[in-house]
Amino acid sequence: MEHVRRPRPTADALGRRCPLSAPAAAGSLVRLVTERLGSDLEHLWTDEDTVEFQVEAARAVDVLTTLRDDPDFDFFMLADEAAVDYGVGSHLEVVYHLFSWKHPAWLRVRARVDRADPRIGTVTHLWEGAMFHEREAYDMMGIVFEGNRDLRRIYMSPDYRSFPLRKDFILPDDAADSPAAGVNPLERPETWDLARFRDAPAVAVPAIGERGGPPPALESGETEADTSRPR
Amino acid sequence: MTTIDPETRIPDPIELDEAEEARLRAAAGLGPIPREGGEYAGFESVGIPDRPPQTDRERDVYTLNEGEMLINLGPQHPSTHGVMRLVVKVRGEVIVDIDPVLGYLHRGIEKLCENATYTTVLTYVDPMDYLSSMHNEHAPAIAFEKLYGIKAPPRAEYIRALVVELNRVFSHGLMMGFLALDMGGLTPILYSFINRDEVVDMLSAISGQRMLFNFFRLGGVNWDTNDEFLSRLGTWRSHVLDNVLMNERMITENEIFTTRTKGMGVLTGDEAISLGVTGPNLRASGVPFDIRKAHPYSIYNELEFDIITQESGDSYARYLQRIAEIKQSIHLIDQIIDKMPHGPVQAQVPGIIRPKPGRAYGAVESPRGLYSVYAISDGGPNPYRFRMRDPSFISLQALPKIMPGRLLADTMAVMASFDPVMGGVDK
Repeated sequence: MEHVRRPRPTADALGRRCPLSAPAAAGSLVRLVTERLGSDLEHLWTDEDTVEFQVEAARAVDVLTTLRDDPDFDFFMLADEAAVDYGVGSHLEVVYHLFSWKHPAWLRVRARVDRADPRIGTVTHLWEGAMFHEREAYDMMGIVFEGNRDLRRIYMSPDYRSFPLRKDFILPDDAADSPAAGVNPLERPETWDLARFRDAPAVAVPAIGERGGPPPALESGETEADTSRPR
Repeated sequence: MTTIDPETRIPDPIELDEAEEARLRAAAGLGPIPREGGEYAGFESVGIPDRPPQTDRERDVYTLNEGEMLINLGPQHPSTHGVMRLVVKVRGEVIVDIDPVLGYLHRGIEKLCENATYTTVLTYVDPMDYLSSMHNEHAPAIAFEKLYGIKAPPRAEYIRALVVELNRVFSHGLMMGFLALDMGGLTPILYSFINRDEVVDMLSAISGQRMLFNFFRLGGVNWDTNDEFLSRLGTWRSHVLDNVLMNERMITENEIFTTRTKGMGVLTGDEAISLGVTGPNLRASGVPFDIRKAHPYSIYNELEFDIITQESGDSYARYLQRIAEIKQSIHLIDQIIDKMPHGPVQAQVPGIIRPKPGRAYGAVESPRGLYSVYAISDGGPNPYRFRMRDPSFISLQALPKIMPGRLLADTMAVMASFDPVMGGVDK
């Protein structure tokens, strides 16, 4: 029964206090990033195997182009492009994870976008594979990637109106009917801030060349919000 | 309301019988009925959505030139490896463009996980890519352990690597079978399933489940190895190479198989990198990228193996790559069994964990490529954001890239060589 009483690992065994897995090389990445992108960097941060920084959304594509094309960086692979919602009243974020042979650490680039008008440049001209990532981010979070040729919904149906992974999209769950303790607060109807959700500004659909017309007018009483959700 | 006297009513042209119309036209000296578009008149618009296109690309796909038509494959096509729809634009039998339509299996797993505790997330991710459930659990386990700042004991890491490699063996084995099945060979899939059942029985002995294992825990694994598992492992190991060889003899040299795979769906290394194709499909294009080497996790830096690559990047290379990786995984399993230390398999972790606010990225090499999880904690019992990057979702983008110019009948054969699993594609 020894393992049952195994003590918590000491502080230095904890992941975030571990040194970088290859400290010298990752240190060189930090130095290189600071040197080359100095003016664009905000909040440089590292953990055991990741180097992370923030850039402004307007500068994100330029920074990513540098990271891909500069032979000292050589981040040839876009491992992931994620979108994160920091809640109503806050901002959205697009997060890029990059990989390079020359550096042993993952590079994470975070770019803030405005929640009311979430727009950022596309990276599909750098990595074609970003197309599905961006379509998913548009479908789930409503982020508009300017310059993306195929920005339409990928999982939900084309006439769907909400953005399901946003934090103000609330799960209508059977558990919400249960008065029992332990139910997730998000699933309790009395905690739903419906007014705020209904008044949330709609995301403008990107114009499509000449063919783009004004979005269809809403019928009276209909809102931009998802009407399938119980009220 | 006015009534029309039937005698004076002018007949609607649509109601006219075709023979009657021809007779009337002949009587008036107008010649035969003019036909636009020849034999298939009226079929041009079938399959085109009844709404304006939303993007340039959608407009390109659904605008038909002379002689082109749309064919709908799926969503219930048996060869789509799940539920997926491909809108294929063809000219005769030659593919012009493909538009994959996804979402038929979308379950919103990311949203579910954001409303579940860290421990239960590991049960939700199982049905993602249901042929590699162990890998699905591995990446969140790595990410959450980074978030929480805990490490699994060495024996747990070895057991993880063991079950993950076993999972890889049966996943790749099934791919060989499905690839042959999509070309009309029924036999290999039966043998593949026999081989898979052996591994699955073994994994069920250690985890208690046959398909959705729910075996990984934060800071360890659910169970230590037991006698049944080890005895099944020994039996399996004694004849697995023979089984692989048998499958290989059935498929590899088959003339129909080689004709339909060699030179088909060629993807160059640069294209594959740009498209985000990873895993065996990328290595079959000659790029030696393997997360197990490139960014070692678990115990992979203690094991000896090389990255296998192929050169040609066609369907046949992707098939050969799978066989080579099965053998490599068996080699890895031998090493893991040899080196496995004694000790606990689970670090002490509370039932509901609340990591400090932070971010973590965990990536593993799943049978289909780079499977990664990006998790954000806000200090609560649920992950604030739980993002999964599924390799088959991204690899699917290669299909519209490489298929134009090929025959319609090869779509499924090439798609099967990429080995997508729709549970993962649709999340």
